[in-house]
Amino acid sequence: MTELLLLTAVLALAAGSLFVKKTVPAMISFALMMFLLGIFYITQEAKILGLFQIFIYTGGIVVLMLFGITIIGIEFPEVPKRPWTAAVAFGLFVGMSGLFLMGRGGLKPVTDAVTEAPRLFAGGFADTVLLFALIGASLLYGTVRMIDVLKSRPKARDPKEADHV
Amino acid sequence: MFEIEMLFAFALFALGAYGVGSGRDFLRIFFSLEMLLNAIILMLALSARHLGLTENVQLAYLIIVLATLEAAAGLLIFGATNRITKAIRPDDLNRKEEAA
Repeated sequence: MTELLLLTAVLALAAGSLFVKKTVPAMISFALMMFLLGIFYITQEAKILGLFQIFIYTGGIVVLMLFGITIIGIEFPEVPKRPWTAAVAFGLFVGMSGLFLMGRGGLKPVTDAVTEAPRLFAGGFADTVLLFALIGASLLYGTVRMIDVLKSRPKARDPKEADHV
Repeated sequence: MFEIEMLFAFALFALGAYGVGSGRDFLRIFFSLEMLLNAIILMLALSARHLGLTENVQLAYLIIVLATLEAAAGLLIFGATNRITKAIRPDDLNRKEEAA
């Protein structure tokens, strides 16, 4: 029951982050959604995944999105409505659910399954570390480039060139 | 219970797809992309829990790292684009190209 309540709250917060007009409440709603997902993973016996979700994923994404808020401002801009998108999303939900419910007969649920194996990364630890290091280095490079972009001023148009046009 | 929880994951995925397709500003498109990836991670965690597919959790970690990288790279591109064109929606970029 707790799991269903958590998932309902996750959906409500996800919808809130898309439909609220102010940026900061939308950001808070989004961060809470990710935090509750982390709590949900902990209730599913995936403790490390839950903690990873809360401290690393949510933390990282929130900081990045705050950068986006500084550009957009306190309110989201008005956008023309696209009613077909809602129909497509609803069709996607119905299609995925239908396919899953039709094929669930072939699934074999396990009652005493361990969600997270204790030696999860023991097999390919070196490969995993290298991959994560590569991704970390890319993130760092992206951050440095971002600082470069923010530091540089847009070039003023040359007045001679403007005269020719 | 497993089926109902999976339906919640599908609903989150559909909500993310709606957000990406509705042509809003860059920030809400990033929110929606993260929702899509969170729905996938949720499906992986549920399948690990209820079907005994524990290796899926390893894949979930990889998706989390890639999602963070995607957000960082996306916001970098958004920041750079906004600095040049002042656009905050992808549709504005098209209009500015047409005007130029």
